[in-house]
This record gives sequence, structure tokens and C-alpha cells, in this order.
Amino acid sequence: MTEEKKPEERKRRKTATEAAGRIGPMVKAAIRENLQAKEEGKPIAYSFIVCAYEEIIRAMDIVPAWTENYAAICAVKRDATRFLERAESENFSRSLCTYALCGLGFDVWREELGEMPPNPPWGGQARPDVMLGSGQMLCDPRNKWYQAAQRYMPDVPVYQTSLPWPPYEDDIDHREIEGYYVKHAVESLRGLVEFLEKQTGKKMDWDRLSELVDLVDRTWNIFIEAYELRKAVPTPMGTGDAMNTMVPLAFMLGTQEAYDFYKDLYDELQRKIANKEGVIPDEKYRLLWGGGLPSWFALTDFNYFNSKGAVFPVETTYRMAEPVYRLDMPKTSDPLEHIAWRWVKYWTYWYDKARKRPGSHPDVERLIQYIEDYKIDGVVMHEAFSCRTWHLGLIWQLNLLKKVYGDIPSLILESDIVDISSYSEVDTHNRIDAFIETLESVRSNR
Amino acid sequence: MPLKDTGGKGLATVEDYYQDYDSRARELRSQGKKIIGYLCALTPLEIITAAGLIPFRIKGDVNEPITLADTQMETIACPLVRSCFDISLKVNRNFLDGLVIPHACDSICRTYDVWKYSLDLPYSHFVNTPHLTNDLSLEFFKDELNTFRKSLGKFAGKEISDDSLSQAVKTYNENRARVRELYELRKSDPSQISGAEITRVLVAAMGIPIEESVEMISGVIDEVKQRAMVPTKRLPRIMVVGGQVDDVAFIKLVEDSGARVVADDLCPGAREFAADVNITGNPIDGIAERYLRKINCARTYREKKGTYQEYLEARFGHIGRAIKDFQVDGVVLYIYKYCDPFGFEVPAMKSYIESQGTPVLYLEDEYSMSTIGRLRTRIQAFLELISSR
Repeated sequence: MTEEKKPEERKRRKTATEAAGRIGPMVKAAIRENLQAKEEGKPIAYSFIVCAYEEIIRAMDIVPAWTENYAAICAVKRDATRFLERAESENFSRSLCTYALCGLGFDVWREELGEMPPNPPWGGQARPDVMLGSGQMLCDPRNKWYQAAQRYMPDVPVYQTSLPWPPYEDDIDHREIEGYYVKHAVESLRGLVEFLEKQTGKKMDWDRLSELVDLVDRTWNIFIEAYELRKAVPTPMGTGDAMNTMVPLAFMLGTQEAYDFYKDLYDELQRKIANKEGVIPDEKYRLLWGGGLPSWFALTDFNYFNSKGAVFPVETTYRMAEPVYRLDMPKTSDPLEHIAWRWVKYWTYWYDKARKRPGSHPDVERLIQYIEDYKIDGVVMHEAFSCRTWHLGLIWQLNLLKKVYGDIPSLILESDIVDISSYSEVDTHNRIDAFIETLESVRSNR
Repeated sequence: MPLKDTGGKGLATVEDYYQDYDSRARELRSQGKKIIGYLCALTPLEIITAAGLIPFRIKGDVNEPITLADTQMETIACPLVRSCFDISLKVNRNFLDGLVIPHACDSICRTYDVWKYSLDLPYSHFVNTPHLTNDLSLEFFKDELNTFRKSLGKFAGKEISDDSLSQAVKTYNENRARVRELYELRKSDPSQISGAEITRVLVAAMGIPIEESVEMISGVIDEVKQRAMVPTKRLPRIMVVGGQVDDVAFIKLVEDSGARVVADDLCPGAREFAADVNITGNPIDGIAERYLRKINCARTYREKKGTYQEYLEARFGHIGRAIKDFQVDGVVLYIYKYCDPFGFEVPAMKSYIESQGTPVLYLEDEYSMSTIGRLRTRIQAFLELISSR
């Protein structure tokens, strides 16, 4: 057995909003509820965020266990290394997705013991009854992770949804082809319902599904409406908090609690704006977190930025929604079709905008829009070595941004999402210091 | 199109093209042909050929330090993809007219825009190959191939007809048959052709028109068949499994260490040439079926049917069969760093092969001469282990 290692003590990150402060206990409660659900015999589904199946599993009373979230919790608590090493000892390369490695290491250990590994963060991750992967336009681990996990849990069935979206091409208007993409997604989601009915014995309540689809629409709307309040100067909430407040959108979608959370956040941000209460008293630089998942074990770096007078009023990461009323959605009474349209329309949302600016691209157009709307002085990204999904194309985006829009100071930090061995606080802070100096110099030369 | 006269000297022609990989593509371009660069075995080549264009597989170079690519692409991408991109920025962009990238792995899919915008070629297209092999995905893939067909036809200035597609299918099937015939020459002990020679043939073929490939490989087969078989000391017979191995360096290292590479599950290699396109009324149907279901690559998810053991058989059974057919003594899993599709397969694949009684050496590499050289000691130890059995 791998020797148990005591995680390094970590001070809690200071949040600007009450809402962000509520997240830790909410996630802890959700993990506890999962373990309770397991004891009560409710079906547990290993799940990925952003797979368009939240309403489906909620409507069928299947309990999602968000495996990426659990790996991030291990990372936040600086207790992931022992699970990474466990996976590595199975011959999984340490260069693979460390969410997956952490999860696989945990699974290997739990299956070997027949119980939770010693002192599992927040009580551990329950053994699943089904695993729900996904093939999309990103993230190979979404279809490889659970397949690999079946080696240790061969009795647990896997369903893979297939949810590609139309790529951005110069010679093809995505509307010409989105029909067969939507049709494909609908049938893939229908297959998921059939799979879950067969595996869990639960029947889909289609009326409830329609209600939850509507609830998710409204949650997307209020989420963005709340986040757009951050355009205010000074901004009432930064990306450090957003790495918490994304939790209801990512892990609780399809619940009233998620909607209520963003309604509360909206109200809180309104109050802060009315009181001119910013993340920091003297806001000098407004930065865009333009790409990359955060180092979960080093979220206090956002506070370090704050200590230098820099705030992040906006980020692309975990802003995985647009108000549904902006998406040009066709009307349909079929909830699965609605989900599929919302999915495809979300991923193609920036295409038209990009076509209007010669040489531009949807990802870059999104950066430009945020730079203008949120009065941004510089762009910061994070390149996590183990994740190709979100961390390839960052350099290119910055290069293209410069070409089609103009010079703007930028910084790419390098580390990982889970593997703390890739991180140096001293180096990171030195790079941040140098970046702040650049921002200062640009401002002085204006 | 006039074929390049290979003069029947199969291996000599191979060596010429292997050493000067893009020479034929540049020559054809100077004659007015349009050259379409592509990545990965998942690119449906029949459609490119049917459009009257020349597909040219982009390869890396283990001897060339990656420099330019690092100004546009993160170093966390698959090292092979980085090298391919580097060579494309330095060399290929000068003669390519277009780029086709299939939805293979994250390192390819997530860098499509980086390629497209950085090379800035007159044509580019992303073929959205789904991850699953079920009927639903097959129907989607047919739609996707028709989108590609229409788009490429527009670029070529003519619609791609069913007849031209059928003709291309026939030629590619012929080429695959030739490669399978070549592989038969690896079955004898000692094999009539070395692993390094096979790699050279397949790499050389990636850069020339398909009709010329058929002729060149036929020439190689004739030549190799005439070789006198001289009894030699029996060497361990090795199978190499991995992603795209487009350079002879690693295979040569294994053979120089005292073994014969007699089988593979690689690209280019058995993975690409095992299965033909079925002749179907609508040629797109057969093409879709082959590229989605018959290329047994880790990036494609095969749904579990039956027991877990049966599932392993469905995923890795072709490796087991090759071990028997080619009398393999040991398997080397040669996986690139940052390769999620193959990386996640390693524990299951390794134990599957070992359960058949065949030893496995798992190596992670970074697609560079400096890292390949460092593997020598482990390969030698593995060969000693096999010899002592």
C-alpha cells in the first residue's frame, strides 16, 4: 500500500463575495450527499461537466459524481500526489490528464481495499453504478478515462454520448450543417436515456425533464446577467471568486439551488456596485483571464495579483454559458432537441462575429469582446501541462489577437491543474511581478 | 497523370523518397498539380484523390530541433504533432495548396486552428470524425464526409463524382493489398525484409501519389522475393505498437540492438493497411465504414459488448492475432509523451498482451533522436529477457 502522506497545510483564499465563500461548504455537502446516496442505494453516475446531460440525470434521480471536481478537491487540499502516484504505478504516464490520473489512482486504491483509501479528502468518492463519458470536439480523456477505469471496475457500464459541433470554416456557414449535428446529438442523448433506464431501472419523467430544461435555460441567463455586472469599475468580483462560483453552473446545473445561487450572486453584485465596493480598494489594472484552467492548489495567486493592484473582472474559463435568448434557438417541444440546439448554438455563438473581422477567429473574437466590454488592460492565461483540451492554442490566440486587434500585454503562466510538482510559487510570483511592471510601463507610455 | 518511372528498382526508389521525402510533391506542384497536406490515418484520402488533388502526408523529423513551432504551439502537444507542425512552417508551406485535418486526438483536433491560421494555405478543412463506431455515428460521419466532398470539390473547381470516388477506392484498396502482401514477407524466420526497410517503404509511400505507391511497393515485393535466404542466428522477433512512427530511427534502434521487427500496430503500418473500403453503391458509405470502424486506433471508442475479456479482445485482439501470425517473441509499446488516447490504453493493452504469454516493454518517448538514443539500454535488457526465456 502506498504510504499515506499528510497533505501540506494550505491557507484559505480570501474571497471578495459572500457567494464565493459559500461554495466550499456546498461542495463538501454535495460530496457527503453522494456518499449518503450510495448508502441508500441510489444510482451513482461518474460524470463530466459540460456534457449536456445534467437535466437528464437530474430528471431521472440519478446522482452525479463529478470526477473532475473530486480531483480538483484533492488538488485544492494538496492531497492529490498519492493518487497520481498510484495511477503512475499502474503504468499510466504522468503526462496524461491529471484529473483522470487522480481519479484513476483513487479508483484503483478503493477497488483494491474494497473501501475508501485512508483519509480520503472530504470522505471520498463513491463507487459508481454507471459511468457517463462523452466524445466531443475536445478532451480525449472524456472517452478514455472511464474506459480505462473499467479495467478496475469491469462490472460498471459506460455510456458515451457523442456531441460534436460544427467546426469554424471559411467556406462553410455552420448553419448549413448544424441540422445533422443537432439530429446526431438528439439521438445520442436519447440513447443515454435508454441506457440509464435499462441500467438503473428508473423511468424518464419527460414532463420533469422539460421543467429542468427550462430551469437550466433560466440558470444560464441569470448566470451571465450576474457575471456581466462585473463590468462595473471597480469590479465587484474577480476570477479568483469565479473559480468558486462556477460550481453551481458546472456541478449543480438542473437544480433550483443553482438558479438561486446566481440570483443571490446577482443581488450581491448589485449591492456591491451601488456601494462602489470593489475586489480591492484601489483597482489599477483590469485583467482578462483569457484561457486555461487554474492551478487548483494555488488559487491564492489570484490574491497575489490583487495585492499588486490587479483584478480580473472577466474570464473565459468556466464561463460555459450564454443567455439562451441570445442563441437564436428554434422552438421545439422536445426537451432533448432543445438541449441539443442549445449545445450546438452555444459552441457556434461567436462564429458570426468572427466572420465580420477579416482574419479573426471565434476564440479571439470572444477575447476582443471581453477586452472592450470589461475595459481590460492585459490578458493572463495558464498553460496546464497535463491538459491539451483547454491549453493548446493559447499562444496562437494571443498572436492572432495582436494581429487582428492590436498589442495588449499578456502573460502565460505554466503549471498544472492537479500536479503540484509542476508549480513554483516563487517563479510564478516573479512572473506576475514582471507582468505588472509591463502593465505599468505600458500605462506610463500612453 | 503521368506516373513517375520507378524503373522497377523498388528499394532504391524507396530510399530516394525516404531521404528526400517531399521531392515528388514539389515536382508535381511545379507541373501544376495541387498538393493537399494532411495529418493522420483518419484522413479519407480517396476523396482527395477523387478531386484530382495529391494527398501528401505531413511527417515530422526526429533529427530537426523544434523551433518555429514553439512560437505558435504549446510544448504540451504531442511531440510528433509539434515536429510535423515545425516542418510544415519551415518547409511544407512552400509547396502545399491545402490542409486537411481529421478529428483524431486532442493534439490534432485542438490545434487545427493553429495549423490553419499559421500556414494560411488557400484551402483547409477539418473532417469531424466522431468518436464512436455505432450506427448513429456512422450516419453522422457520412453527412460529414459529404460536407468535405462538397467543400473540396469547390476548391478543386469540379464536383467529385461517384465514378472518380469509386476509382480512387479501387486504387487505394490495391495499394493496401500490396502492403499486406509485403507484410507476408515478414512472416518467415528470418523475415525476408527488415522492419527498418518496411518503415522506409511506408514512409516513402506517404509522400507520393497513390498510383505510384502501388507501383513502387510492387517493385519492392518483386525485389525482396528474389532475395536469397541465408540461414542466420535467430533473432528475437519484435512487434512495435504505438501511434504514428514516421521515421526509421526507433525501429532501427530495436533492430540494431539485436532483434528483428516483424510486425506492428502503427501508422503508417498494419493499422492503416489491414482493411479495405468495401465497394458500395454510394462510395461514401464504404469510405465512412472503413475510416470509422476498421481503423483500430485508440482515439476511436469501441463500445463494450459482452464480458470485459471480450471487450479486451475487441480492442486488442488484432495485436494478439499478429503475435501469432508473425511469431512475435516480444512487444514494445512505443507511446509518445502527452498522448492521451494511447496513454490511457497502456495498462489494459500491456496486461492483455502479457496474458497471452508475450512479454511487453512499455516505452514513453518524445520523438527526438536525443530521446530515442536513451532507450537503447532498456531495449537491450528487454531483448536479453526474451532470449533467456
